[in-house]
Amino acid sequence: MTITKIMEALRQPWQLQLVRFTPHMVVVLILAILPAVVPAYVQGTWTKFVIFALFALGYDLIYGHVGLLSLGHAAYFGAGGYTVAALMLHYNMDSLWVGLPLGILAAALVAAIFGFMALRVSGMYFLLVTFALGELLYSVTWNWKWLSTPGMQGISGLPRPDLGIPGFTWNTLSFYYFVLVVFLICFFLVHRIMNSPFGHALRGIRENESRTQSLGYNTWLYKYTAFIITGAFAGVAGVLFVYYNRLISPTHVGVATSFLPMIMVIIGGSGTLLGPVIGAFVIVFVEYFASLFTPERWPLILGAIFVVAIMYARGGINIHLSRLWQRLINRYGSTKV
Amino acid sequence: MSDVSFSVERGERLAIIGPNGAGKTTLFNLINGQMLPTSGKVFFWGQDITHMRAYSRAHLGQARSFQLISLFLNLSVLDNTLITLHGIKRSRFQMLRPTTAYTDLLAKAREILSPIDLWERRDELVRSLSYGEQRRLEIALTVALEPKLLLLDEPSSGLTSAESSEITDSICKLGRDITVLLVAHDMDLVFGIADRIMVLHYGKVVANGTPEEIRADPRVKEIYMGIEENAGNTTAT
Repeated sequence: MTITKIMEALRQPWQLQLVRFTPHMVVVLILAILPAVVPAYVQGTWTKFVIFALFALGYDLIYGHVGLLSLGHAAYFGAGGYTVAALMLHYNMDSLWVGLPLGILAAALVAAIFGFMALRVSGMYFLLVTFALGELLYSVTWNWKWLSTPGMQGISGLPRPDLGIPGFTWNTLSFYYFVLVVFLICFFLVHRIMNSPFGHALRGIRENESRTQSLGYNTWLYKYTAFIITGAFAGVAGVLFVYYNRLISPTHVGVATSFLPMIMVIIGGSGTLLGPVIGAFVIVFVEYFASLFTPERWPLILGAIFVVAIMYARGGINIHLSRLWQRLINRYGSTKV
Repeated sequence: MSDVSFSVERGERLAIIGPNGAGKTTLFNLINGQMLPTSGKVFFWGQDITHMRAYSRAHLGQARSFQLISLFLNLSVLDNTLITLHGIKRSRFQMLRPTTAYTDLLAKAREILSPIDLWERRDELVRSLSYGEQRRLEIALTVALEPKLLLLDEPSSGLTSAESSEITDSICKLGRDITVLLVAHDMDLVFGIADRIMVLHYGKVVANGTPEEIRADPRVKEIYMGIEENAGNTTAT
């Protein structure tokens, strides 16, 4: 939906507006209210879902908008996460106001270095280079003793962040709302970027790079900037994940984690705002239920979901949901005023 | 291409013709920066732009339409227009302000789209327009940039003769501060617009002169006739 459509919608009678914005309101209401009334262990899973929705949302900027398939986003996720974890482990620094900016900075920096190398190629080679660079960081976290609590792989026993508010203590619900606020800020930013001249140029590059270039856009710079931005978003997700999980290990930097945002975006629907969120919801909750019943078969189920999504929901769940919604409106909604 | 040396005066309309594979589009790629020459130089307004990137050339005032329609098919008509308009503005790097917040550009878009009857259909995807409409949109967008040099690669290919003469008219109406380089097979278009015609064959300039001279040139006739007679040979070599 383009901004013009929204602007037009705003000029239309309120009944029409209500119909059109209902899906968004439903999503926001679910995110804001439902976790408050479910048991604490489900709240934890909700938190994880929102963190991964943020990860996928950032990832979609480079995949859905520029059309570049990256398989190394765990590197930026991990760079953010390991930065706050190392700050806590070595410097006892658990302030959010130091950890989050430094985590984002570290992730953006790694993305800037890796992106500089990876963007020399495109298509399948881009995927391979990002994958290889991601694995490079994976082996660094595996072998560099400084990045591990003595006696184990990874950093564990981490506290929740210090907000600097006197007398404030965390519980599962307040932490969820903290994550939700960060998510909503990022959601808003991605929304703005998507509709800006910059975001339009990215879509132009996906559609036809040589035309975009002959219109006066330095397409390499656009791709590079977009890559750093998605790295920064992955960094935010990584920082939140460490605060949530209280442990980070090399697995979180490896290809299994890189695969998650990719699959979420593909299942949910790329190039849209709600698609990655829906994809993250499906993956995180199916993983949650799968691990309750058959923990060791989770990858099998993940693979099956992927195949089903590719075969029956091409273009992502989001597209099918919005089509369904449109059909419901056409059938039951009297939009004549 | 070898030994192609030519210059175009400001405001001139130069048509480049020649059989398929003569190097017309390659020449455009060299001028507009999609390809770099292995040797030789390209000058634009007295400036050496041989190694300049395509996007910088756009900022110097070159605008190009492509032989095969190269609009952004999965974006709306309005988005296509706005991307085109932002390209040579500083606002192209703006990340947080919606494209539609630039009311001056929206007004400009309306100015461009209304005459070709696309303003009412601005939210439709370009994919859903007819071929002729896409062509007209592409030409309108290229012209809207108010370039110093307009490069038109086969602007009328695939159009009906009525649509094609419409395009001829719109190019004729352009101000003389715009230089037009045109590649076309459509001779009505070429002779309707060009001040001067250059004939390319196998990457070489065969003839270069006014439409009357070209019409009378025996070598040009030979190329066009010869190709028809020895079609088998040309593809083999």
